[in-house]
Amino acid sequence: MINAVEIKNLSKSYNNGFKLGEISLNIPKGLIIGLIGENGAGKTTLIKSILNIIKIDTGNIKIFDKDYINYENIIKEDIGVVLDNMFFPELLTLSDIDKIMGDIFKNWDSKLYFDFLNKFNLPIKRTIKNLSKGMRKKLEIATALAHHPKLLILDEPTSGLDPITRSEVLDIFQNFVQDEEHTILFSTHITSDLEHIADYIIFIDQGKLVLNENKDTIVDNYGILKCDIDDFNKVSREDYLVYKKNKYSYDFLINNKSKIKKKYRDFVIDNISLEELMILMIKGDK
Amino acid sequence: MLGLIKKDFLLIKGNLKLVSIIFIVLIFISFEESSNFIFIPAFISIILFFSTFSYDEYNKWDAYAITFPNGKENIVKSKYLSTLLLVLFTVLITMIIWIIISIINNNLDIEYILLTSFGCFASVIFLQSIMYPLIFKFGIEKSRIVIFVGIFILIAIIGLISRNIGSIPIEVVSLFNNYWMIIVPLIIIITFSVSYYLSKKIYMKKEF
Amino acid sequence: MLYTVIYCVYGDVMKIIISNSSSIPIYEQIKNNIVSQIMNNELLEDEALPSIRNLAQDIKISIMTVKKAYDELEKEGYIISRQGKGTFVAPKNNELAKEQAQKEIEEYVFKIINLSKKFNIDQRDIFNLFDILRGEEND
Repeated sequence: MINAVEIKNLSKSYNNGFKLGEISLNIPKGLIIGLIGENGAGKTTLIKSILNIIKIDTGNIKIFDKDYINYENIIKEDIGVVLDNMFFPELLTLSDIDKIMGDIFKNWDSKLYFDFLNKFNLPIKRTIKNLSKGMRKKLEIATALAHHPKLLILDEPTSGLDPITRSEVLDIFQNFVQDEEHTILFSTHITSDLEHIADYIIFIDQGKLVLNENKDTIVDNYGILKCDIDDFNKVSREDYLVYKKNKYSYDFLINNKSKIKKKYRDFVIDNISLEELMILMIKGDK
Repeated sequence: MLGLIKKDFLLIKGNLKLVSIIFIVLIFISFEESSNFIFIPAFISIILFFSTFSYDEYNKWDAYAITFPNGKENIVKSKYLSTLLLVLFTVLITMIIWIIISIINNNLDIEYILLTSFGCFASVIFLQSIMYPLIFKFGIEKSRIVIFVGIFILIAIIGLISRNIGSIPIEVVSLFNNYWMIIVPLIIIITFSVSYYLSKKIYMKKEF
Repeated sequence: MLYTVIYCVYGDVMKIIISNSSSIPIYEQIKNNIVSQIMNNELLEDEALPSIRNLAQDIKISIMTVKKAYDELEKEGYIISRQGKGTFVAPKNNELAKEQAQKEIEEYVFKIINLSKKFNIDQRDIFNLFDILRGEEND
């Protein structure tokens, strides 16, 4: 097994006109895969499809090489999730969660759960309702990890966290993939979280898969070529993907940095951050 | 599935104080008047249980629970079982208190107590059977109105029957009198099963 | 942004300094760090390197990036990975080191030539200087 998740021709339409897909992609095992896109681009829909929270219209999904519906319960023993605003009823306490989960997951590890709570300084007796937003996220992460999952599916796991906690949490995720059998699918609109630790980037826009690429390839090959308003025609069409007009200059998105650097010696060619890439791809013209 | 049932009981645990107070009040009232209050705890417990749906809905628990290795079906099943257990428990406690009070008051009528308790259990389970498919379909918030309308219609039907009891053919009445021990449980079992089947169907189609 | 991480390997110290603002790709920075430590004998033959995943976590970069660096280092003969045991510093390839040194010398000589041309300095003066400096070294 090389892929933790394999998705083929997935599509899902909603009554409000939003459509996801068709999407085909693989999530390779043992790595951290970042899922980026605007709010409403379809990240959560994709995640909900993988988890069979919503029924897909077409396509098929395999997780750990098994059909995700026929082997649903077996597969789900090995998946840990953090979903955006979906969790235990908030009247429950942190120790209630332990009692409940002990009966739900075969591999639930109370000790590991309480170790995480300790590490995060979360009060065991408190109800979820009385936790701050950051504490709640940390609780959700602890809960997702405490049954020794092989696949973590995280929808916006870092939103609402302060920078210190965020780096703590990212470290926990990196620690999780120390095991080569472990995989993380990590959706976020805060792309800087993924800039360093993600191995692959999946970029979704308006329900479509726009980019599915090794992050190093993006960092090494993609870039921004900048030129004056007057020099627009000096850049030939086959050399860029999209462009964006600014007040005094043009930004061209390129995916062949070293070659372009040789060809256009007089222009500025910058490295690109995931955020800039996202903005250019969404806002840029062809 | 045990975990799911546990979750609902842990959720209403916070309301146990309220339930205990009701029981205590009931005990005192029962010294004066006996049978009329027997229905209250069971009804309160099921209304209390409805609140678990509110909490679930508010925190989008269902979507989260679907990511567990228990299957959607068991989420519905756990709700039915939890309710059944809770109502059974409440009715039993009420019955025991009632029996103790009767012994103290020296007016123990065990057959009457058993029959009334069973009637109480049956009517609450009947209410549950009607309510749950609606709750699973429309959600608890919208179903609240339906609950009140439903209870109102139920009362109206009972009132209508009791007012026109004379016009019901004597054969039917005597048939019921002779065989109610079979008819009532049968009705309860059938509505409960149909209700569960419907809820399951609704829930399997539902998206979160 | 600048990350500095000191990584301990069996009591020795492996240093990896990575700059995010640099135009040099991160995998290349890792490579350069390790190569220079091998060249300076800070990392010795047969010494174990941190595992790919460990190093990735410690310097907070992706696994694939470290893997790319290790793969290239292995291809170039600086390190060896042994199945199930880990990655180790390869026996120092003197030919390779020599080649590397020669390249560096070439660069310096090129600079010397350029400078001398620029200021019209006679070649013999430079050879003299070379002899003098070498003589000092031998003392």
